[in-house]
Amino acid sequence: MSKLGVFDVSVRYGKVPALTDVSLQIEEGERVFISGPNGAGKSSLLKAICGAVPTTHGRIEIGGMLVAGRPPEAIARLGMTMVPEGRDIFGTLTVEENLRVGTGIRRDRDAIESDIDEIYENFPILGERRQANAGALSGGQQQMLAIGRGLMTNPKVMMVDEPSLGLAPNIVDQVYETLIRLQKDRGLTLVIVEQSSARAARVGGRMVLLRGGTVVDEGDAAEFAERDLLKEAYFGQSAEEPA
Amino acid sequence: MNAIPQLFFDAMSLGGIYAMAALGIALIFGVMNLVNFAHGEYIAFCVFALIVPSTDAVAVLFLGKAPALLLIPILLALGAAIAVASEFVVFRHMRKATPVAMMISSFALGFVIQNSLLLIYGSRPKAISLWPDLNKPVSVIGASVPLLQIIVILATLVVVVALALLLKKTKIGLEMRAAAENFTMARLLGVRANVVITGAFALSGALAAAVAMIMVTQTGVADIRMGGQIMLVAFIATVIGGLGSLPGAVAAGFLIGAASVILQAFLPLDARPFRDAFLYTFVIVILLVRPQGLFAAHSAKPRV
Amino acid sequence: MQQTHKQKRLSAWSTPILLIAVLLVFVLLIAVLGDNSLARMAAQTMIRVVFVVGLWIFVGNSGVVSFGHVGYMAIGAYCSAWLTLKPQMKGMFLPDLWSFLANAEWPVLPAAIVSGLLAALVALVSGAAILRLTGIAASIATFAFLAIVHTVYSSWEGVTGATSSVVGLTRYADHWVTLGWAVAAILVASIYANSASGLALRATREDEVAASASGIDMYRHRLLALVVSAFFTGVAGALFGHSLGVLNPNSFYLGVTFITLAMLVVGGIGSLTGAVTGVLVLSILIEVLVRMERGVELGGTNLALPAGAQEILIGIVMILVLILRPTGLSGGRELRLRLGGRRPN
Repeated sequence: MSKLGVFDVSVRYGKVPALTDVSLQIEEGERVFISGPNGAGKSSLLKAICGAVPTTHGRIEIGGMLVAGRPPEAIARLGMTMVPEGRDIFGTLTVEENLRVGTGIRRDRDAIESDIDEIYENFPILGERRQANAGALSGGQQQMLAIGRGLMTNPKVMMVDEPSLGLAPNIVDQVYETLIRLQKDRGLTLVIVEQSSARAARVGGRMVLLRGGTVVDEGDAAEFAERDLLKEAYFGQSAEEPA
Repeated sequence: MNAIPQLFFDAMSLGGIYAMAALGIALIFGVMNLVNFAHGEYIAFCVFALIVPSTDAVAVLFLGKAPALLLIPILLALGAAIAVASEFVVFRHMRKATPVAMMISSFALGFVIQNSLLLIYGSRPKAISLWPDLNKPVSVIGASVPLLQIIVILATLVVVVALALLLKKTKIGLEMRAAAENFTMARLLGVRANVVITGAFALSGALAAAVAMIMVTQTGVADIRMGGQIMLVAFIATVIGGLGSLPGAVAAGFLIGAASVILQAFLPLDARPFRDAFLYTFVIVILLVRPQGLFAAHSAKPRV
Repeated sequence: MQQTHKQKRLSAWSTPILLIAVLLVFVLLIAVLGDNSLARMAAQTMIRVVFVVGLWIFVGNSGVVSFGHVGYMAIGAYCSAWLTLKPQMKGMFLPDLWSFLANAEWPVLPAAIVSGLLAALVALVSGAAILRLTGIAASIATFAFLAIVHTVYSSWEGVTGATSSVVGLTRYADHWVTLGWAVAAILVASIYANSASGLALRATREDEVAASASGIDMYRHRLLALVVSAFFTGVAGALFGHSLGVLNPNSFYLGVTFITLAMLVVGGIGSLTGAVTGVLVLSILIEVLVRMERGVELGGTNLALPAGAQEILIGIVMILVLILRPTGLSGGRELRLRLGGRRPN
């Protein structure tokens, strides 16, 4: 049971509202893209779900358990993991230590070593540099490490904030390939912040469009991509650019 | 000519004390950005825990009467206990406060602890004789060195190595290092904030207890003001070492110990009373040249 | 209807006037109703106002906590002693003074001003170094500065008398003189806070990085604030010496640092009103506690608080304020008259 439910959730930073009455249901094993212009509240939504920012209104449920108000470490124990924007890897720790930080919450101790090996199989470069300081990795390698680190908590739901940010297109492809493969292998629920509807359509999944802190549209990623393509053709600019 | 080895032992043993005190401060700063001004008073608290509460000038040993094998773990536990208690009573309620507010409240807490000691034990320094045999000199490579100095140096090494192993090899150690670098991210990965912070305070308090035992054996005095001076030096060591960097704190502790011994030995006689003034000036100069500290941690750099 | 620009400026000027009126009433009440001991308490309170308002000029505007201002206070206190003590006494107790100082026998007012100026000069030099640092490192460097001053003044036998007290200072600093200086400190603090430099500095208080990116020369404004601030803390030192008649380096160390910082925090670091409120509230509390330490007759038995209880209670009050009301009693707001217009909502 890892259905994710967001009901009428609001978040404010001081007096500035970041999210207003957002509702969203995500089924187990689903893949959902969150899109929208800068400042639409995409990161705030993810942070509210994993407990990194407090909600001022509404409730959030994971597998029927209420999470709003719990500290992030408790939410992680419910099977939620987050790969934040900018990755936030621990630069002074080694690659392998980064992978182990999140294993404290697991009950299946025996599986930890085999999971680490599995991550090294998925991301061979991490295996090669397992004893290196994570701060010395390239951006793409850090993104892979951040995903690997999240997986090591053995999550049911994984949220990834802008995996494509600052990475070369071929690296982004690689990151998505891995995410999809992992989702298939483990039955993960994936929530991904992605600005490009074209890329979301290629990967496939549902798309949720946020603007000004509320959900303004929702549907198949392919439909969004088509519409955006049309808009681009008419107005000569990418529709994802903030107006 | 045995002046040089003599100086070396003096510098190493003084530096060892400073390094341990600095480690206690750096550990907590690393985990929660708290500049803990109460740390010196943890040391004083542990010293006074050795003697029977009274305002008399001569101290009667209380805990201090216990055999070393019993005394050492009890005192370490007591140091850990007061540190953890102070976190529980004060700092836990300030998780959302600014580092400046936390720093000031630790300053106030230190004052409360110091004056509570004053209330119970009076303000006069007391003679106290813990393990007097350790001050007997032994001969090492041509220098006559009190046994205690050698023990201090060895104890510092043991403490530093043990702490390094704890941080490097255990689960709580890994979580502490992760939390020190990015507290929120560590929590998102399920690291329990309260466990890590309590652990850091316990370790820090135990280090204060170790410093207390060494200082009391060395000076033979229990003084309610003894925490202040060592705390100031320890702070300066953590800043020079690069706030939050544990190896930096140790290295800077030894550096200040060495500088202090060298100044004492080579300053002209008239200028010796001003030794600490020279020392602190030297420290401000170091900070001017390298504001981020001599051994800055990655995380200590401001993120722009 | 909103206030016009002019009304806002007038309203800002009502703050120091109201604060001065409060102090005036406080001192008048004590002068009329109180005994000698209360008058001394009033003088001590006004000296603390001079010091804490001086401290606020730097800490309140820059957001950098300074543990070093008691150092400037010591410098001012000893300077005034050097300038005003009878030459025969200086010859006996402070034999190593320069002949210019050894022979000086200045009137008290110019001596107080020069003491403040010396403190300001030392602040210029020490601040030029310390303020290159930011945040916590700067705070700890101010602590090192305090330790330097303390070490020097406790050891410089022939110039400061080291740890033996300097005695025989004219005790001119009564509640009226100190009130005069408190008024001056409040006026200057207001002028500075409303000046271009004060406004720029408060912008840096919230976010050092953003302010420096917007082209504010934080270092220069901090240094200016420190120099102005040190002048008044130096004067407070001079007044302190001339109210007790005795100086000792141990009077200028952690104890005063703690109490004055407590006043600033309890009142609220964010505003001048907070600085003054903190001094008044804690001074009254201290007076009550001091009397209780001396003992209170209750039903035939003498109940006395033990020594040290005062600091413990103040420490606890300070921690409680930091936890429950981090912006202090004033909440960071200023006491001011609203002239015309209504608060826009």
